[in-house]
Amino acid sequence: MIPIPTLHVVAILPVLVLAMGAFAVLSGELFLSSRGAGKSGAGSVLVGVSGATLLTVVVITVQGFISAEASEFNPDHPMLHLDRLAYFSSSLVVGAALLSCLLANGYLQELRIHHGEFYALLLLSTAGMVLLVCAVDFLSVFLGIELMSIPLYVLAGFDRGKPRSNESALKYFIAGSFATALLLYGMALVYGATGATHFATIAARLDPNDSMAMVGVGLILVGFAFKVSSVPFHQWTPDVYEGAPTAVTAFMAVTVKLAAFAALLRILDQAFGAVEALGSVLAVLAGFSMCVGNLMAIIQDNVKRMLAWSAIAQAGYLLVPLSAGTAEARAAVLFYLVVYALGNLGAFAVMIALTHRGQEADRFDDYNGLATQRPGLAAAMVLFMISLAGIPGTAGFMGKLQIFLAAVRADQLPLAILMALTSVISVYYYLRLPIAMYMRPHSERPHRRELDFLEFVVLATCAALVLLLGLLPNTLDWLPVIDWTYQAATASAPN
Amino acid sequence: MVGEAVVLSAILFAIGTVGALVRRNVIVVLMSIELMLNAVNLALVAFSRQWADPAGQVLVLMVIVVAAAEVAVGLGIVISLFRNRETLNLEEASLLKW
Repeated sequence: MIPIPTLHVVAILPVLVLAMGAFAVLSGELFLSSRGAGKSGAGSVLVGVSGATLLTVVVITVQGFISAEASEFNPDHPMLHLDRLAYFSSSLVVGAALLSCLLANGYLQELRIHHGEFYALLLLSTAGMVLLVCAVDFLSVFLGIELMSIPLYVLAGFDRGKPRSNESALKYFIAGSFATALLLYGMALVYGATGATHFATIAARLDPNDSMAMVGVGLILVGFAFKVSSVPFHQWTPDVYEGAPTAVTAFMAVTVKLAAFAALLRILDQAFGAVEALGSVLAVLAGFSMCVGNLMAIIQDNVKRMLAWSAIAQAGYLLVPLSAGTAEARAAVLFYLVVYALGNLGAFAVMIALTHRGQEADRFDDYNGLATQRPGLAAAMVLFMISLAGIPGTAGFMGKLQIFLAAVRADQLPLAILMALTSVISVYYYLRLPIAMYMRPHSERPHRRELDFLEFVVLATCAALVLLLGLLPNTLDWLPVIDWTYQAATASAPN
Repeated sequence: MVGEAVVLSAILFAIGTVGALVRRNVIVVLMSIELMLNAVNLALVAFSRQWADPAGQVLVLMVIVVAAAEVAVGLGIVISLFRNRETLNLEEASLLKW
């Protein structure tokens, strides 16, 4: 007689709500189109349903974070562990997904590719990310990664009449499934060496002198390096970011990195804590990512490609504290993820707001003289760019400061100095957009589209948070983000 | 017995990896990735027997299901590319570079 396991629905509530939202969107679209409802009316219903779903999940996860009650899914063989780290990262991921979902409505209509599947795929992918950040077993890590990636392959090719979008989807699919295969073989080898798939058991049995286990750990690291697009596993990133529709690029650039880094943080801490060599491997990856990403970003003439190389460089900054491995460093990673999400979502939101009649604003020339035509948008773009560059007064500066201090305290001085130097290089390319907007005469192309209300909400949220986190990161009683990251980073490990 | 299965899976995985990296036809690359995933399955089953632990076999079932979903999406992407470009050669998928 097989005992029926007690399932703790609370632990999978966020994932369940997201999946149900996705099916509601799919069937809702079917119903609306059979009723012959107007295209834009149907669009706002679908945005409403998916936005409400994401908002519900944000509320659930934030409440979980506040109550700080750890719960597990199936305690006999724990697959998911919801502690403050899981709640913090899932609210971050779902919050970012909510903002990119709000951006999509106007953009998809401008490009005439407004289909309900977009929202369903976005919700399913977000469910995978939530699964991934809560996972404490290889099985759930694998399931989370795939549920996150497969909808994203489709989303990258969402503009299916355009060869560039097809090509982006194909490249993302091949790079992604290759990375998954490497990751899985790594998991198989670690399983072979330890006989376990659960993080805590692996940590107890992993022997740093066992070569098979170490090959496995290496392959798992390579798989994650693909997902976070760290050098030398980054080649797909610029192509995929450039070819995918901008609303999709915004979603995947931000949320995938959040989820993958949160999961990597947990695996390194809770499963591979015994492997000391990992610190230096991560430090090398960090160094190469910072140098290559920042240098390549300089020579780009497409804004999306520039942001892709900048995302590679930012992955390098995030790997610096991961290689240090202290609790303070983990908190710095989480804080920088917030900063990264705000800066990038804001920049993509401005690009989306300038998309007009199927024409994307993705070349630097499209921004010439924007300040005279659209002063508000230009000012917002400047704010997001200087935040990404890490100039004092913005969230980006606070994020880099946290990483720098954590690295110095963990005796990682060379990496910290390299990070400061490459950040200086990055100012050059981040300031190209402000220079084009404020100092060049404007191009013949008029930027006439009205800002849609949802886009305004996203831009205002991002801009306000960038300023708040930059000027008062931990002084407001209702927004002590740095304290939250510490609470998340020191959440107790599951046993 | 377990040792031989693991060696065989390593060989299959190596063939799949090389195929995915050097072949230029999209369909062959997809087949190579499938080969890598099946090498993983073989290794997992072997290790599962070695440790007398069913968790490895559960993971295999998951991998089979997810690989099927993945390849369905992959073929869909290949078809949409083929409709626009009439090619299966990865070298010709080069609108996006640098």
